[in-house]
Amino acid sequence: MKWLELLTVAGATLIAASTVVTLYALGVRLTAIAADAQQPSPGLKRSLAYLCFGLCGAAVLFGLYLIIPYFSK
Amino acid sequence: MVALVIALALFFDFTNGFHDTANAMATPIATGAIKPKTAVTLAALLNLVGAFLSTEVAKTVSGGIIREGTDGVQITPEIIFAGLMGAILWNMITWLKGLPSSSSHALFGGLIGAAIAGIGFGSVNLETLLQKVILPAIFAPLIAGLVAYVCTRLAYALTSRHDPETGSKLTQKRGGFRTGQIFTSSLVALAHGTNDAQKTMGIITLVLIAAGTQAPGTGPQFWVIAACALAIAIGTYSGGWRIIRTMGSGLTEVKPAQGFAAETSTASAILASSHLGFALSTTQVASGSVIGSGMGRKGTTVRWNMVGKIAIGWLFTLPAAGIVGALTALLVNTGVVGVLIAAIAGTGAVLFMFFYSRKSAVGHHNAVEVEEAGQAVRFAKKKAMARARAKAKAKAKAEASTKANATPQAEPESQTQAPADADATNSKETQR
Repeated sequence: MKWLELLTVAGATLIAASTVVTLYALGVRLTAIAADAQQPSPGLKRSLAYLCFGLCGAAVLFGLYLIIPYFSK
Repeated sequence: MVALVIALALFFDFTNGFHDTANAMATPIATGAIKPKTAVTLAALLNLVGAFLSTEVAKTVSGGIIREGTDGVQITPEIIFAGLMGAILWNMITWLKGLPSSSSHALFGGLIGAAIAGIGFGSVNLETLLQKVILPAIFAPLIAGLVAYVCTRLAYALTSRHDPETGSKLTQKRGGFRTGQIFTSSLVALAHGTNDAQKTMGIITLVLIAAGTQAPGTGPQFWVIAACALAIAIGTYSGGWRIIRTMGSGLTEVKPAQGFAAETSTASAILASSHLGFALSTTQVASGSVIGSGMGRKGTTVRWNMVGKIAIGWLFTLPAAGIVGALTALLVNTGVVGVLIAAIAGTGAVLFMFFYSRKSAVGHHNAVEVEEAGQAVRFAKKKAMARARAKAKAKAKAEASTKANATPQAEPESQTQAPADADATNSKETQR
């Protein structure tokens, strides 16, 4: 039985998914903070939010890279 | 016989497509991230692209479940024909019932049944069967469910904001997750295209090699790739709305943050499994994710009796497709007349199920109750203002960005769709 492979898959899934979700959720939170009325530096928060979304996008692109066999060879 | 098998294989590809639209697109449709028609168009395009992207073909589709080669048995076109028949019929039945079930398992079941009936019990490799089908079927939903649960918790914990003094809720802009859903669901659709169209290509190539029209050991010919890609794309576009309904609103109520968490878990699980060598079924991963995300949000209930129905569906996939496959194999073994009878009976059964489904048609207009969110945001703006001004604003913004993102792919679609949308909204209104 391939128990080790099963564990690896489970672990990789957990790490990948929680990374993406954490980044995106932080982005969402920062957007919400930037939109607050009495926010001293909305610009900074907003750019941080975009940074989070950008990292998230990079993670998705990495996923694409994995899917397409043309790249992985 | 070869032509018949190819036609049947392409039809299987078609059912595979419409059966699995739900995996990628049910949650974004349910949260209103993408309009139903746009969603299936997007999924169809990505499936089409995905099918072309990957040219690596599994040498045998059955992946060693059926013993083959010099010491085993030779898979004949007749057996493939019977196996496909079983898989297609089971796909149609589960579609009619709105159950998400694995198309690959149906195919395995059909082939196993056909092999047992056509060749004998010794032709099936039980250990491989356990390892490739049964164990993944147990673990796929468990892993995906657990990960989706954790992710949903994370997403809600990270975005929850309370005023430190008054303890009242601040704006959370969770609607922003909708935009993310578009990308994650697209990833799932693309992954599906690269995986599932391959199976049919493999089958057709196998048949061509068996018939002697193609040299052994060569890859699929271009027309095979093109035909499979088209078949799966058309299937995806026609949308298994019944299954989308089950996945989008039958299991649990899905909110954008949950949908995002579920889609991300599905995508990561599929990618991880296909790259680390423990193949998991897309459908089972996706269902598990939706259930897990349902458990992760406070105040959501998971409809466990629906979960039970789906689980029973999974249990029956292998034997049911196997029995049909076996019966067909017995018929086919009797000769040309048997093949004709099997083909006619199969077509008849498919047509019957199709017309039976018309009695209670489920289409893009009524697939998911919340589906209106995509269109409803327009009038919900007024309604929601009464409830929560801030929430409505976030929604509108998400909608705007969603539209900006979605329009490029959907341009030809949106023009023809406008009247249909109006229709859908109207009928919804009258229903209320």
